[in-house]
Amino acid sequence: MADQATFQDDALQYSRQLYSAAMRMTRNPSDAEDLVQETYLKAYRAYHTFEAGTNLKAWLYRILTNTYINKYRKDSRRPSEVDLGDVEDLYLYRRIGSEASAEASRTTEDRVLDGLVESDIKAAVEGLPENFRLPVLLADLEGFSYKEIAEILDIPIGTVMSRLHRGRKAMQKALWEYAKQRGLLPEGAEKP
Amino acid sequence: MSNNDCIDPTSSDCDDALASLYQYLDQELNTASSETIRAHLDECHGCNGRFDFERRLKTVVNDRLSEDVPPEFLDRLRQALSDEQQPTVG
Repeated sequence: MADQATFQDDALQYSRQLYSAAMRMTRNPSDAEDLVQETYLKAYRAYHTFEAGTNLKAWLYRILTNTYINKYRKDSRRPSEVDLGDVEDLYLYRRIGSEASAEASRTTEDRVLDGLVESDIKAAVEGLPENFRLPVLLADLEGFSYKEIAEILDIPIGTVMSRLHRGRKAMQKALWEYAKQRGLLPEGAEKP
Repeated sequence: MSNNDCIDPTSSDCDDALASLYQYLDQELNTASSETIRAHLDECHGCNGRFDFERRLKTVVNDRLSEDVPPEFLDRLRQALSDEQQPTVG
């Protein structure tokens, strides 16, 4: 059992991570602030049920995720099962490889990875349907294990793995478009 | 395809390694499986290039997704929690 008196010290250290995730979930600062504040207030009220010594960050994320799902997706309890369609494995890497010569491909890889700015990465993640976006956020922003993600989202671990895999591929497809728009590819590669 | 060359494209080692790419990078494999992949990457230039790119991309995504919490919001959050801790007696 955790002590409510220590809640602020224990929990506010994760505010940056929770706020970052909330921004990608809600896509705007005002809703992100509301979501994070509601998460912390709920967590505070329930803190006596939190088992001290277990994973506080994962517990907070579970509250954040459930609050988001309940508040911002009013139509149904379960995430909408949007399909992403087929995207090739290693999408971004293969596109770069098909546009650059062997000698130039490492240079092009570097230019793409260096040249994609924060807004590109954020837009690529925000563009993912929610059932793919949440696993990608939890894994790639937070570094949660598959098991932790399964517990936070209340879905089987196999579903975590497949959504993560397909979500990342779809994100790469979006990043490829941003790389083209930014002129990060070799001469001629931008041709339609 | 210029950056995709494997030493032996017919080897199933490459397929096996690629099938576990994300599990490997996400550190979800057991020690033995990780070792098998690491050994394969040491000898296969093509797979090494693919894994390296995905690893670097994962770092880039992580680095560029974070947001700073607006300080005014953090103040409001602390205040809201303090208010919750000491409810006005009424």
